Amino acid sequence: MIKGYAGRVLEIDLATQTFSFQPLDEEIARLYIGGKGYGTRLLYDRTEAGIDPLGPENPLIFATGPLNGSVAPQSNRFAVVCKSPLTGGIGNATCGGNYAYGMKRAGIDIIVVSHQSEHPIRIEVNGDRDEVEFIDATDLWGKGTYETQEILGKKKAHAVIGPAGENRVLYAGIVSNERIAGRTGVGAVMGSKRLKAISVTGTRKLEMDDPEAFKTYTKEIREMFKEHPVMGSSLKRFGTAGIVNTTNARGMLPTKNFQKGHFDDAMTISGEYMEDHELVGVKSSCLHCPVTCGRDVEVEGKGRVKGPEYETVALMGSNLLIGDLKKVSEWNFLADDLGMDTISLGATLSFAMELQERGMFDAGVKFGESEGVSELIRDIGHRRGVGDDLANGSKKMSEKIGGHDFAMHVKGLELSAYDPRGSFAQGVEYATTNRGGCHVQGASMYLESVGPLTINPQNLKLKADIPVLMQNTACAINSMVLCIFTTYAMFPAAIHDMDPKSLTHRMMSKAFENSGPVMRMAMGMKGKPMLWFEKWLTYITGQTFSSGHLQEIGARIFNLERMYNLREGLTSKDDTLPPRILNESIYETMDSGHPLGELLPRYYKLRGWNADGVPTAKTLDRLQIRI
Amino acid sequence: MSIQVELTYDMSKALGQRSFELETAATVREVVAQTAARFAEGDDFDKLVRCTAVAVNGVLVNYRKGLKTKLVDGDLVGFVKSSAGG
Repeated sequence: MIKGYAGRVLEIDLATQTFSFQPLDEEIARLYIGGKGYGTRLLYDRTEAGIDPLGPENPLIFATGPLNGSVAPQSNRFAVVCKSPLTGGIGNATCGGNYAYGMKRAGIDIIVVSHQSEHPIRIEVNGDRDEVEFIDATDLWGKGTYETQEILGKKKAHAVIGPAGENRVLYAGIVSNERIAGRTGVGAVMGSKRLKAISVTGTRKLEMDDPEAFKTYTKEIREMFKEHPVMGSSLKRFGTAGIVNTTNARGMLPTKNFQKGHFDDAMTISGEYMEDHELVGVKSSCLHCPVTCGRDVEVEGKGRVKGPEYETVALMGSNLLIGDLKKVSEWNFLADDLGMDTISLGATLSFAMELQERGMFDAGVKFGESEGVSELIRDIGHRRGVGDDLANGSKKMSEKIGGHDFAMHVKGLELSAYDPRGSFAQGVEYATTNRGGCHVQGASMYLESVGPLTINPQNLKLKADIPVLMQNTACAINSMVLCIFTTYAMFPAAIHDMDPKSLTHRMMSKAFENSGPVMRMAMGMKGKPMLWFEKWLTYITGQTFSSGHLQEIGARIFNLERMYNLREGLTSKDDTLPPRILNESIYETMDSGHPLGELLPRYYKLRGWNADGVPTAKTLDRLQIRI
Repeated sequence: MSIQVELTYDMSKALGQRSFELETAATVREVVAQTAARFAEGDDFDKLVRCTAVAVNGVLVNYRKGLKTKLVDGDLVGFVKSSAGG
């Protein structure tokens, strides 16, 4: 077995309440690493096209990778893969907390949960004894994610759902500690199986190829992170919401259901404001993570709880015209406890508010008013009243009620909080990402618009190239499995220290903007490992991973996801953006919206796809993708 | 003429206000100078503004005429720091 893997796949059948341990497929591990990549390969191979995502045929796959179980910073993440009930295409999400570490300590790389239980059930896995217990969970059914985890105790690592998952809210997530695998409705799939929780325990240690090199190098990287302007300073001080004032000043902060990109009260929902006014003191992190991007805030009646991160303060703050951080913190807690993705929730609430404003629907909530929102969130989580409509997300709501032009989703997945009209590459990424409109499947906006060395986000240069690079990188990172925030350290401190008003900075930006050929050449180079995650993978597995290797693996995973979506009936017509984004300008420098139509052909070409967005036989062959 | 100026959080803490209005400012350079004049010496404006870009109506002036970018009535000038979110 390749080092870094436990070597076991736990197969669980809920219908028969049986289980077995199977050997990890080393060929899949070599080609797809683990995590999202391994999970996607299994999903593709084991399912037929057209299955009901909430039916028994949809497997729920929990997948770790070779970095999990180590103490590498930001490596306590697992991926969940299944068919998405929200989009009908590939579903996946990753989650921090301590569950990934728990799985590897139990000596398990992958857990595949098949079929459905007839009654609420939970599973306890003891990896040391190779035991799996199926336990009636009727007593836990209906309980929130916080209470459920408290009852299950701290001796094991848990992945649980709340009422939203139980009630099959299409954007329900799976929670571990205070973190959530939020996107694409993986929690609804778990709920459809009547599976309340999986708990894992064990004492196995991760075997590495070169543990000494790993240990020495990890110490070095911890020091680098400590001194880094993002990892050791801004994320640590202000959390992810530290970016609010940046996106606001750049006109990219979703405001009033993406009608605008600037919110006058942005300051009062920012990470800096949270630090000064709401933060209780202790910041929270996933296991072994030195970045501590999590916040703790005080919520009335609940005490100290996890605070909202950027996506939440934007989509449930500015996007609803709410500048009250206390309210957003309360809604964030509610969503976490019910087990729901705050991105899809926020964008669905803003869609309902615009429908209300236009007299098309009455959900009892209005832009700029917090009254009724808490109750509506509870109703969504329990599918009560109009909450039942909102529980289906903005795409399905628009199909039923209308409002297609301002339903802010791609492929059914609601857009994240970076308005792509201020970040053209991010727009291409949203349009083409296989799971739909999400920012953490690439995060192109960091290279293009909000990071320390940006390019002009509103011309066509590099706007199709950056998403390919970043999507491939993200696919590889989500398969190791690392936190995507690790990419923020790719710009060294020296770049952050440059004055953006200086001539040197402007010249470097210009050079970056014209670096397409160099970038493409670098993406294909398979040399020695250079970046920290390449070295970690190499030290742990004994195989060589350079940027070129990871670009190839990332492209393989991305294209396999694409083939899955094509098999499910999605086409190039689904590679689009909401009409509001395509047709309405929010900048005086733009005549219309995002120029996606001008960028997609080039993106397809860079991907090795035909004009219809289908990977060519040559591309599949080059990437060794078996279909 | 009215130019709205929005500050970074650190700048606003030092100055005690998030934003202010300028009656006249023909270019971005003039806005920066007039903003600097509002800060007391001990506020260390140069340090506060060092790694800060400037945007006019959401568009960085780096991609226009830099500090020479001309302003018109109603423009919103924002001081922007690079950042990373999630």
